[in-house]
Amino acid sequence: MRIAAALGLVLIAGFAHGAGTTHLVVMDGVKYEPASLRVKRGDTIVWVNKDPFPHTVTAKGQFDSGSIGVDRRWTLVARKAGHYAYLCTLHPNMQGSVDVE
Amino acid sequence: MKHRIAVVSGFLLLAAGVACAQAPNDAQIAHIVVTANQVDIDAGKLAESKASSSDVKAFGKQMVTDHSGVNQQAVALATKLKVTPEDNPTSQSLKTGGAENVKKLSGLSGAAFDKAYVDHEVAYHEAVLAAIDKTLIPNAKNEELKALIVKVRPAFVGHLEHAKMIQAKIKG
Repeated sequence: MRIAAALGLVLIAGFAHGAGTTHLVVMDGVKYEPASLRVKRGDTIVWVNKDPFPHTVTAKGQFDSGSIGVDRRWTLVARKAGHYAYLCTLHPNMQGSVDVE
Repeated sequence: MKHRIAVVSGFLLLAAGVACAQAPNDAQIAHIVVTANQVDIDAGKLAESKASSSDVKAFGKQMVTDHSGVNQQAVALATKLKVTPEDNPTSQSLKTGGAENVKKLSGLSGAAFDKAYVDHEVAYHEAVLAAIDKTLIPNAKNEELKALIVKVRPAFVGHLEHAKMIQAKIKG
């Protein structure tokens, strides 16, 4: 009984930290690097802004980071499979995509 | 109509200034970069307070933020390289054009202000991009200075695209 409860805690802890891999996307020179990313469901994606001005990570109707300031980051856990094309609403020439398997 | 002629002649002057002037040195290029940003910051501040459309207001605010960010980097780099930005004819025509634009915009309000500001932003970013490509990047000697200009160039492209989107939207 106690072992089962302990296992349950491990399971919960696993979910809380995001069981999958963490991927990093750097925003630098008004580009997402890497511009296209393939992840698995449950993976975490972290966007870090290295430019001297804010950016957004926006897939219309899917997700929107809002303004990400200088040296700030924004995290998304990939929950639903699909292809997501996103852009920076402040600099629409800055585009990227995420494929969630 | 009169205003349009004034704006266009301002840009022709800028283009002519860039074309006729001798190739600028790094100190002059640094000055042009800082001035070009400052001119757009000044116009952006005006739009932040005077624009009636929320899109135009937000764009003005973004111009203040973005161009201030670029200028902080430019000043930090100039300091690091011990380059004292040097005034030059291109900077002067940028400054004059910026002051004329602010003067003109100050006399407008409502939709007329929004349209004039956004139209100018489109033309201004086109002119600055032309200067970046034809004058600043080809003439920058210091690799770090050149790299900074190359790195921020896509931001100007982004601003131009963004401004064109707003231009189309407020036209209705």
